[in-house]
Amino acid sequence: MSKAAETDRPRAAALYESATKIYPREIEGRFAKLSKLATYTLLGLFYLVPWLMWDDRQAFLFDLPARKFYLLGLTLWPQDFIYLAWLLMALAFSLFFFTALGGRLWCGFACPQTVWTEAFIWMEQWTEGTRSQRMKLDKAPWSWDKLRRKGSKQLLWVTFSLWTGFTFVGYFTPIRQLGVDIANLDIGGWTLFWGLFYGFATYGNAGYMREQVCKYMCPYARFQSVMFDKDTLIISYDEKRGEPRGGRKRSVDREAEGLGDCIDCTLCVQVCPTGIDIRDGLQYECIACAVCIDACDSVMDKMNYPRGLIRYTTEHAMQGGKTRILRPRMFVYAGLLTILITALVASMATRTPVLLDVLRDRNTLYRELAGDIIENAYTVKIINQSNDTRDFVLAVQGVEGLTLDGVDNPVTVRGGDVLSMPVRARTHRDNAYGIMNITFSVSAVDDENVERVNDSRFLGPTP
Amino acid sequence: MQEEYRGARRWSRNQQAVATVVWISFLAASVATMLFFALFDPVELLATVDIEVGSQTGYAIGFFFFWVISAGCSAVTAWLVRTAPKRKKT
Repeated sequence: MSKAAETDRPRAAALYESATKIYPREIEGRFAKLSKLATYTLLGLFYLVPWLMWDDRQAFLFDLPARKFYLLGLTLWPQDFIYLAWLLMALAFSLFFFTALGGRLWCGFACPQTVWTEAFIWMEQWTEGTRSQRMKLDKAPWSWDKLRRKGSKQLLWVTFSLWTGFTFVGYFTPIRQLGVDIANLDIGGWTLFWGLFYGFATYGNAGYMREQVCKYMCPYARFQSVMFDKDTLIISYDEKRGEPRGGRKRSVDREAEGLGDCIDCTLCVQVCPTGIDIRDGLQYECIACAVCIDACDSVMDKMNYPRGLIRYTTEHAMQGGKTRILRPRMFVYAGLLTILITALVASMATRTPVLLDVLRDRNTLYRELAGDIIENAYTVKIINQSNDTRDFVLAVQGVEGLTLDGVDNPVTVRGGDVLSMPVRARTHRDNAYGIMNITFSVSAVDDENVERVNDSRFLGPTP
Repeated sequence: MQEEYRGARRWSRNQQAVATVVWISFLAASVATMLFFALFDPVELLATVDIEVGSQTGYAIGFFFFWVISAGCSAVTAWLVRTAPKRKKT
């Protein structure tokens, strides 16, 4: 039951009257609670995660200048980009899966646009009051009260947006240091710029654009219908039960009057954040936030009618059939999702945390040294992707008698460091002729499974 | 400031076009930036053309470069689609 519904007022017709005074977010109910929970959880995660520490560094940090991503104990390098690509694909398929199953759950409860909009609406309520108070306030001429209310709303919005921008930048710059820098008014130009950029985007999107973003700008909102079938959960008005709609006193026997269950209070329309009438059928503007269900249920309770005139249902169920959850589409999405996640986990688990990069010196083909020795020069990069310092052995093979000069095996590379060194490969003239393929290899002393190879070429005189 | 009549408030076609162009090209630029800089370090890349910048400036230049290109492309496409001669009904 909504708060407004509990207030004293004349019965019957008043129900229709009071409806206009109820603002969406004052509707309480199962789905309003769920959406509140989702908002708290998701925003809580967003604002807290950058403050988490792992050993002595930030647990989640996307260090762009150093070109390293830290995720808990894991350090990802640009070479690991494939994992990110797979992760994004896995996320896309989860979205498909949940959309086919539960409809626009994403839009209604998890999308940042929805979540931040909700938070901004709360702030609007704290400062400007209920729906009707706000409507009145907007129409009223400027006064001290209006200025105070509007001003404090803006103050809250702007502060919240700035904090959001700060948090966003905190994912890319160590947030604790950033906090100190801001306190000392000593922040870099770009850091400041991106913080303000993200803050302003939040302010505009959640404060002003709101559901217009879903209606006009969101590609997902337009194409999500292709993932729908007759067994997808949708929010729907039960037309058979509701029509013919019409206002009536609570004492009226609706069957005798030939009325359906819909009392046409238009509460469902007023609470709708996208301003549609759910009774007109499924529309793409519907983001499935389910507040109309809460609104209608509260009215049904008051009228002593059964709940569910507007409810989560499926097209099959509406036509009197049964909803099938296990259908081919679900297996396909779930199968692809499982494959992607398994591959991602497996490849990360078996990731070799060392990279070898060999670049042949292009300036000279080869050098002839005393004693009929042929020498080629290379630049070798050993990248230790693990977090610990490690010893590596660098070796080369592919040509008889090939030895390395300039390497003092084993070489030590600190965790997360790149060791770049000039290296010369030598062999006797009898073994070297034309272009020959050789293979460099690097292996960790403490773990022989940690090994990488890199192909290169060895040039000798052409006979 | 008719914030409360959100549902009734509709964007004009021009507003829609501008918002869509800006937003979709932003998304495209984000993806392009991610892919591109996974392969190339902006500092090294700009050093090859004798421009010395910090990495943050490098990333920012890259991102805005992609955004301007994709926004221009989106805008021209939207404009052409919207101003195309109407097909006469026969």
